[in-house]
Amino acid sequence: MTLLELNGVTKFFGKLAALEEIDLTVDEGEVVGIVGPNGSGKTTLINVISGYYRPTSGTVFFNGDKISGLRPDQIASRGIVRTFQSNVLFEGATVLESMLIGSFLQYKTTDWQSFLETKTYKDDHERVVGKVIELLKQFEIFNDIFLPAAGLSHGYQRMLGIAMALIANPKVLLLDEPTTGMNHQEAMFVVENIKKIGEQGITVILIEHNMKVLLNIATRVVVLNFGNKIAEGKPQEVMSKPEVIDAYLGTETI
Amino acid sequence: MPYFDYKNFIPKSVAWFVAALLILLPLFTRNSITLSIFISSGVWAIAVMGFTLILRTGQFSMGQAAFMALGAYATAIFTLQSGIPFWPGFLLAGIVSGIIALLIGLVVLRVGGIYFSIITLALAEIIRIIAERWESVTHGVRGLRPPLPPTISLGGLEINFATSAIPYYYFMIILVVITGIVFWRLEHSRIGGTFSSMAANQILAEHQGIHLMKYRVIAFTVAGIFAGYAGAYYASFLSIITPQMFGLWQSIQIMMMSIVGGISSIVSGALIGATILYTLSIYLSRLPIYNIQYLLFGAAVVLVLLFLPKGTGLVDLWGKFWRKVFREPEEYEIPEDSEMATE
Repeated sequence: MTLLELNGVTKFFGKLAALEEIDLTVDEGEVVGIVGPNGSGKTTLINVISGYYRPTSGTVFFNGDKISGLRPDQIASRGIVRTFQSNVLFEGATVLESMLIGSFLQYKTTDWQSFLETKTYKDDHERVVGKVIELLKQFEIFNDIFLPAAGLSHGYQRMLGIAMALIANPKVLLLDEPTTGMNHQEAMFVVENIKKIGEQGITVILIEHNMKVLLNIATRVVVLNFGNKIAEGKPQEVMSKPEVIDAYLGTETI
Repeated sequence: MPYFDYKNFIPKSVAWFVAALLILLPLFTRNSITLSIFISSGVWAIAVMGFTLILRTGQFSMGQAAFMALGAYATAIFTLQSGIPFWPGFLLAGIVSGIIALLIGLVVLRVGGIYFSIITLALAEIIRIIAERWESVTHGVRGLRPPLPPTISLGGLEINFATSAIPYYYFMIILVVITGIVFWRLEHSRIGGTFSSMAANQILAEHQGIHLMKYRVIAFTVAGIFAGYAGAYYASFLSIITPQMFGLWQSIQIMMMSIVGGISSIVSGALIGATILYTLSIYLSRLPIYNIQYLLFGAAVVLVLLFLPKGTGLVDLWGKFWRKVFREPEEYEIPEDSEMATE
């Protein structure tokens, strides 16, 4: 079933086309990798899907509804949640606080119930805290919950970013280079977790430079170059296409 | 200036003791100046709570006093011109200032940060100028004389607002308690966390599904409602309302009270900041040097910002003192290699 559909999405910054006429469909349960050299429009694509940018033209459909033009919070509440390329944190918050104040969409109760501190809210809050702890354990940052998030190492900050996206109850998870700056072991840990996320039925779209990672988890790879989609298909096939090797991998082979 | 430390720094025992002292205060002193200082401090504290709440969402309102003016004028105009009795008129104060805050908020909160601060500053001046120029309704700079609350008979007890400050004092306590409960719940519920997240990282908060506008408007409107009640009550207590009473200086004073008291706890920070700075301003204005209180106010703010940065203020200073003296014996644990430990 098609979950996400991009229809001729174009994004201009001034006269520079960061994305040109991108068509893309993503089915439920897929793990789609987006690759491309620097400046090819990968992050812009994620920014357009998540509502951070409005596309100059073209539309994005989610579950058959048009979502391009909506605010980021509206898109997030529909179930498309993202992480950021750099580590974006809640300034001054500890790991636990970051997760709790980021779990806005995890709550099922209203603000009024929270204000009046009803029984339903207390139960709901307990459930949310349980979920937070579960996620922190899954990403192995549970031991550091009282540390300032800014004090975590780079790799763990990225784990926290993914955990924060997951607490927002995504149907589609957009990961912007989840393994940058990680050593092989850490990257493989993230890969295992992305696999788990996929197994839970969450559709994943990830930007990734690390080919080993993509070959490992992606069901499909999309290659961007200068804002255009130049190839799409199974990772192994795409990587052997001459134009992809030319644009992205240069003379190296994998 | 996000603040996440939800711990209550004022121990319950101390809080109850202070509360009891405040309730019994009129038994110890009939001095109307003392009572008047407490009444005024309470009123300003309510406005300060609103300011701190807006600050918690990451926005800096520079026109809080204008909402006090709106509430004060609303009550005065409704009771004087439409002949509505005092209490329904008083009830209208918060409704009017709240509705106006909501309408202003829906427009100006689209822009955040410094632009919001400047717009609120300008709006406050506009409200003051309207109050000055709309002579037929507001009587311009001469101001209005709001009516007193009517005398209440409770059994054999006559509560007369005209002859004594004590009824005003107790009603101020009721008002502060109601406001305090509302702000306390806002701070300690999920809404408070939502506010903090917006202040800590607006973009991330928005991508986690928080509608920034909605929560900014909620904070701004709630602050407006209670500032309206504070203003109406203050005007009734002083039995005068003029445009100068709630001008730019008063907005700045609210800001300073919030910062000196500390924003780490909305309610206790506001109460401490308002009481200390208001009392100071009364006693300092008696000094022989003209307007010296403004200079010393500024010095107080600079000192607090220097020594208690990140919005911790006096609440935290008190908290640190308390924990040092009474709560944290582990701080004074005997080192293992000392002679006392080996005995």
